[in-house]
Amino acid sequence: MSDWFSEPANWVFLVLALVIAVSAVRVVTSTNVVHSALFLVLALGATAGLFLLLSAEFVAWVLVLVYIGAVIVLFLFGIMITRAPTGPNVEMDHRPRAPAAMAAFLMFIVTAGSGLTAFGDQEITRLGDGTSTELIGEQLLQRFVIPFEVVSFVLLAALIGGITLARRDASPAEEEATEEEVQA
Amino acid sequence: MDGWDVAIVIVKVLVVFALLLAATILLVWIERKVVADMQNRIGPERAGPWGILQTLADGLKLLFKEQIRPNKVEVGMYLLAPVLTLLPAFLIFMVIPIGVPFTVTLGGVERVVSMQGTDLNVGLLYILAMSSLAVYAVVLAGWSSGSKYPLLGGVRATAQAISYEAAMGLALVPVVFYAGSLSISEIVAAQSGTWGGIVPRWNIVPLFLSFVIFFIAIIAETNRAPFDLVEAEQEIVGGFHTEYSGFRFACFFLAEYINMFNMSAIAATLFLGGWNGPTFGLTGFVSWLLPIIYFFIKTFVLIFIFMWVRATLPRFRYDQLMTLGWKRLIPAALLWLVLSAVVVGWRQFGAPWT
Amino acid sequence: MAPDIDYLALAPEITLAVTAVVVLLLDLFLPRRQKYWTAIVAVLGVSFAALPLIALAVSDVGDRAMLGGSFVVDDFALVLKGLFVIAGYLVLLMSVGYVESDRYYQGEYYFLLLMSILGSMVLASSRDLITLFIAVELVSQPMYLLAGWRKGDLRSNEASLKYFLLGVLASALLLYGMSFVYGLTGELTFAGIAAEGAGKAGEPAFIMAILFIIAGFGFKVSAVPFHFWAPDTYEGAPTPVAAYLSVSSKAAGFVALLVVLYSAFPDASGVWGPAVWILAALSMTLANLTALRQTNIVRLLAYSSVAQAGFMLVPFAAAATTDAVGLGEAFAATVTYIVIYAFMNLGAFAVVIAGARKTGTGDIEGWGGLGSYAPALGALAAVFFFSLAGIPPLAGWIAKLVMFGAAMGAGSPWMIALAVIAAINAVIALVYYARVVKTIWMDPVPATAPEEEVRTASVAGSLGLAIGLSAAVVVVAGFFPSLVTFFSDATKVLAGG
Repeated sequence: MSDWFSEPANWVFLVLALVIAVSAVRVVTSTNVVHSALFLVLALGATAGLFLLLSAEFVAWVLVLVYIGAVIVLFLFGIMITRAPTGPNVEMDHRPRAPAAMAAFLMFIVTAGSGLTAFGDQEITRLGDGTSTELIGEQLLQRFVIPFEVVSFVLLAALIGGITLARRDASPAEEEATEEEVQA
Repeated sequence: MDGWDVAIVIVKVLVVFALLLAATILLVWIERKVVADMQNRIGPERAGPWGILQTLADGLKLLFKEQIRPNKVEVGMYLLAPVLTLLPAFLIFMVIPIGVPFTVTLGGVERVVSMQGTDLNVGLLYILAMSSLAVYAVVLAGWSSGSKYPLLGGVRATAQAISYEAAMGLALVPVVFYAGSLSISEIVAAQSGTWGGIVPRWNIVPLFLSFVIFFIAIIAETNRAPFDLVEAEQEIVGGFHTEYSGFRFACFFLAEYINMFNMSAIAATLFLGGWNGPTFGLTGFVSWLLPIIYFFIKTFVLIFIFMWVRATLPRFRYDQLMTLGWKRLIPAALLWLVLSAVVVGWRQFGAPWT
Repeated sequence: MAPDIDYLALAPEITLAVTAVVVLLLDLFLPRRQKYWTAIVAVLGVSFAALPLIALAVSDVGDRAMLGGSFVVDDFALVLKGLFVIAGYLVLLMSVGYVESDRYYQGEYYFLLLMSILGSMVLASSRDLITLFIAVELVSQPMYLLAGWRKGDLRSNEASLKYFLLGVLASALLLYGMSFVYGLTGELTFAGIAAEGAGKAGEPAFIMAILFIIAGFGFKVSAVPFHFWAPDTYEGAPTPVAAYLSVSSKAAGFVALLVVLYSAFPDASGVWGPAVWILAALSMTLANLTALRQTNIVRLLAYSSVAQAGFMLVPFAAAATTDAVGLGEAFAATVTYIVIYAFMNLGAFAVVIAGARKTGTGDIEGWGGLGSYAPALGALAAVFFFSLAGIPPLAGWIAKLVMFGAAMGAGSPWMIALAVIAAINAVIALVYYARVVKTIWMDPVPATAPEEEVRTASVAGSLGLAIGLSAAVVVVAGFFPSLVTFFSDATKVLAGG
């Protein structure tokens, strides 16, 4: 155990893990939806830190760029244009807390227990040196080129369908009008 | 890694800090002078020679002003936002090389000191990630103020940031194609030399469209005119910083100018060859100093364009902003990206039928 | 440097992808009145996608594996790709009139449907966790959106939202299980997992991972207790979309389950066997009992399809208890059931679309006397519903037969118990299927029925074609079961039987 504490990286890990755990709990328990979003930022930021600790720079910064820089910003945008909450939001407080907490705890026991028995304290080896960016790029466009291309269709479908569902339908008269406009 | 290495890192951080502060003081003054000149006014002239100390005077005034805190604010976030706005502004400059490395002998070991805070091998991603964080301060300031106008400013900021980040990121991908790396120092190195001894090998030459898209996007990212809907005085008072005063307001003010400097420096680095330039066969200290001068000249030229645009163009309407971002810049950036990919691929792997 | 890609093996997928993009572009440039061209292009594209499938089937190269065994085109993949193409074709035919009659976004509708078909095609060939997961996502994601395609209808919104939320939860479970599998074995391809995971069947983490994966696919195939979304989604979604959900999307879930369980976890059958046993028993019993009380025809079909999923799971449970030969038999039994189920269920949905137009309602009561004013439709309805019930000589009978054969072949007491449960359920199911047929043929025309012209209006050509094709398969396969078993036997390659 003293070995574990003499390694500075382990301390960093401990701090990051604690931040993730606490902020993840706060995401769920906070009654203010904006605070929830911000705790999510904290959790994701600390996760990016974990990736940096594993020297997976590319994944870490992509996590920051995509999740913190875009996804959560969109959350905030959505919250602000729909409800504009400027105080604690009581409706967010769900009643059945005990069963939810129980379920979460059981889930934790199961996953943590099975993870511990499976990996124990065996050391996870790092796959090769060099920049992970290059390796990721090569894998994506060589071995995983089909899923890579398929993902682009997943995104395209989501984009097209999302826009179609979200946009306001013009009334038939309006549509005719724009049609004529286009033709003229 | 011994004590000296740590010391070098600390010195670098301090230098970046001082540099950005000094640049800001200078920038505010330059902007007021330039804009005044374009509008046939004189601009500041009382404090110091040509009014150069005007910014200092303003800064001191802000420092000593009373800091008002309205009753309805969310205290924690309200106080955090001004700090948060400075953080990415200072961090982002850490990966920009401003000159060639030099060697010093410290503690009996010869060490190469790069003119760059740190050289990440995913530096470009880091820049994008950091610039995407800048919007948080604006949003939080707008939300925590507990009042209508700041909230509107915050909403506008999120929409704008998301819309233009996409175009910005897409415009940078061809740069990565040409350099074959995400590391900023390697992108700069890839731009050294010339074509035929005359035209410098800067990315702006083959990637002019990328540069234009990127430059428009960074104006929007820094919320500068004509993209200053976030703080449009005529519409939403001060926007996100309406409820801020004194030093906290100064933080926002400072961050805006630092960001403008940062973004110009990034554009200069990625498209104008960074510190690359003719050394005229000189050696020694001069050959070390020249690249730094080149870097700052390029940066300030871009900053001048920033100001020129501000003095010339009226503010966009909200729908115009969205149209420009989504219907013009992003498709253009995508098309350009495909085109560059084809060109680079052709050059590297030969024609598809061979 | 370029990856080793066999373009002939990928040709069906490429054809579909190109078609989808063409549909999208056409939609952009066509004026509103000519949008029907998108339907024509979509139908043509799906038909063309079948051509390379035939070429692959007759070529004597054998299995084509590429990208390190991540993407394999073998007999199993070909048979299922064929099924997905035909099912997609039928759903497209059913959609044509339906989508045109209302204010739908036609181009986008066909685009999303093609995307989902593309996903199921990739799924049939995927032999590693990443490809499989992405393919599953491409199958279901367009469906989340299409379920809500009737934007003005609150029930459609609810359908989309429920399906989306539960579907995303399922994906999360699936991914979590997969991540554990990768962590434990360090392998992504199924062959590699099978080799590395041979000694790990007893590890708690491995068991948990497998259960998570089964739960994730349980949502996709809507097996009890993961079926909550199905009735509401089927009812609210546009009916052709519900048909697609109950056939292609469900079949895709089964294919994924088959491939993962048989080829990645062959040694862990002690883990997934009992889990599947429970799922099968629950799905059959609960869904059938609930179906008895349904008054809406689409909800009835929804519960019926949940129950059918239970029947399809029976051979899985059997496979866990038998040797290699029995494994192959069980595998073929499931594929046979899927193929036959696809046609009879598509036919049933097509009849429902036609019938709902004539009667103006989805309530079973309102369908009284349909047989008197639309005898052909009534007869076809009887064909499909009796086939679903498993009455000889219709194809559904063959499906039930091979299913019972697989269960009894295993011989263990547990499997015999499951066979008994299945038999009881087959009888329960007959009650509600027969009730629909009875209403159509024996009840009087209700007073609320629409005007004479509406009732006797002819069925749209494309819809009629879809009904006719399905009916032909259901009847012919009932008399010549070898037509189906020929294909399903070919799929045994995967099970090593």
